[in-house]
Amino acid sequence: MVREGRMFLTRSEYDRGVNTFSPEGRLFQVEYAIEAIKLGSTAIGIKTEQGVVLAVEKRLTSPLLEPRSVEKLVVIDSQIGCAMSGLTADARTLIDHARVETQSHRFTYDEPMQIDSCAQAICDLALQFGEDGKEEDAMSRPFGVALLIAGIDVGGKPSLIHTDPSGTYVKWDAKAIGAGSEGAQTALQEAFSKTLTLQEAEVLALRTLKQVMEEKLNKTNVEIGAALVETGEFRVYSSEELEACIERL
Amino acid sequence: MDPLLRPGHNAPHLPAAMGPGYADVFDRLSRQGGRVETTGTNALPTFDAHAGAKQASFQPYQNNGGSVVAVAGKDFCVVASDTRFGLGFAVPTRMISRNLVLNDKVVLATAGMQADTCTLHKVLRIRLDMYRQNHGKDMSLGAVSQLLSNTLYYKRFFPYYTFNVLGGVDENGEGFCYGYDAIGSHEKVKVVCTGSSQSLIQPVLDNQVDGKQMYDGQPVAELSLEQTVELVKDCFSSAGERDIYTVGLDGRGQPPLYVKILKLAFVLTSHPLRSKYTRSHFIQGQSPAVRDSQTTTDTYFT
Repeated sequence: MVREGRMFLTRSEYDRGVNTFSPEGRLFQVEYAIEAIKLGSTAIGIKTEQGVVLAVEKRLTSPLLEPRSVEKLVVIDSQIGCAMSGLTADARTLIDHARVETQSHRFTYDEPMQIDSCAQAICDLALQFGEDGKEEDAMSRPFGVALLIAGIDVGGKPSLIHTDPSGTYVKWDAKAIGAGSEGAQTALQEAFSKTLTLQEAEVLALRTLKQVMEEKLNKTNVEIGAALVETGEFRVYSSEELEACIERL
Repeated sequence: MDPLLRPGHNAPHLPAAMGPGYADVFDRLSRQGGRVETTGTNALPTFDAHAGAKQASFQPYQNNGGSVVAVAGKDFCVVASDTRFGLGFAVPTRMISRNLVLNDKVVLATAGMQADTCTLHKVLRIRLDMYRQNHGKDMSLGAVSQLLSNTLYYKRFFPYYTFNVLGGVDENGEGFCYGYDAIGSHEKVKVVCTGSSQSLIQPVLDNQVDGKQMYDGQPVAELSLEQTVELVKDCFSSAGERDIYTVGLDGRGQPPLYVKILKLAFVLTSHPLRSKYTRSHFIQGQSPAVRDSQTTTDTYFT
């Protein structure tokens, strides 16, 4: 074998182990997982005083595809929703975990879980990867997905949180992830203001998506939802509500 | 009647001077100057492992009595408990705390078996610490009420022998209390009493606080904090006259009980035997500092 006798001499050797640091102090597999998100469809979150808007692009690769079966905006608990970009199959595992944690919190404390705590629970699982496979439900590799978590805390405080495969979570006023995230983030930075209304945020989210999408934006290839301060709940918009938002563009 | 409440039935498996039967043994031992006679009329009972059939029994519970009361008002909650540790006809100590101050807004009081009370309080204190670390805030009254219920139910088939009342002020600053049975059934109420004097105290509180058994339509005057504290003290004084497992008045005519008052974020402590805050403080409205009173309680009993 070529590698024999000169283990780990080249930089690419550090690609192999998911928990092996490179001499420069990097975990390549985690970095590659973050790269995988840039292949995913774009997702945008915007926080306002009235609530948090999430909008996602759905890539419909064939006209024969059933658009409703592509689901990138989901409810975690009644007050928390989430948009995903990257390997959506990986997101299911994280979201299932978050759903169990939020329900368990309600069972134990008879109160909804905080948005922060939910993000922390997701990040706890995101870091549970390794090669040994000793832990039964642990992944052998990092999760290749980023999430935008939107929710309303008790007392009506809206939160928008971004999580990535490194298990880090950060709060944002407005955040874009996925293939068009660079352009979208720049657009958001220019247009965002703390005084946006929820309706303005809906329009800004869709307008930003429209800029970075390859396809023409329509009611089948985007999804939009919001966590509302008024109701304290997260809801994915119906196609009629989505159409109304698109008309306001 | 609860068999565990009957005198002489406490922990007969324990070899210490806990049941009345053993008192006789120790009395005779002392009269004999510590010399053990094995024959004659003064002989101590001996145990023959082969003499007839023996029945093994596991009696993990004992009742140490005690009564706990919680009365909630518009913006306060008074949680009180007596301090007598009863065991059969004996009172091994007159100074135990049945109260646990969980945070600025929630107090738990527990009657029943003291060992189980200690364990339950320890478990809850740890759970509250973990919650604070994980979620970055103190647990609300409602959250504690559910956690306590679950904690009790998780020992459904070997329960903590404890009877709890939980009192405090909720997120809106309103006082509430919760009454529990030993396995976690609970009810959110404005006034509750459990423990050995439950049947003596609860009807009085129902009448005085809730206006039960009153002439129809007669309005119930809302009690002030000071009136509530006095009512609770009177309840304990009276109960102590009829229930040997609940302490009554002490030599100075003061009921030796712990009263914790939660008014919005304030926890006040009143204990006549050791505290600087007696009833006159409440009447004059001199509120001792929060942290001060909490520290006093915690260091005294942990």
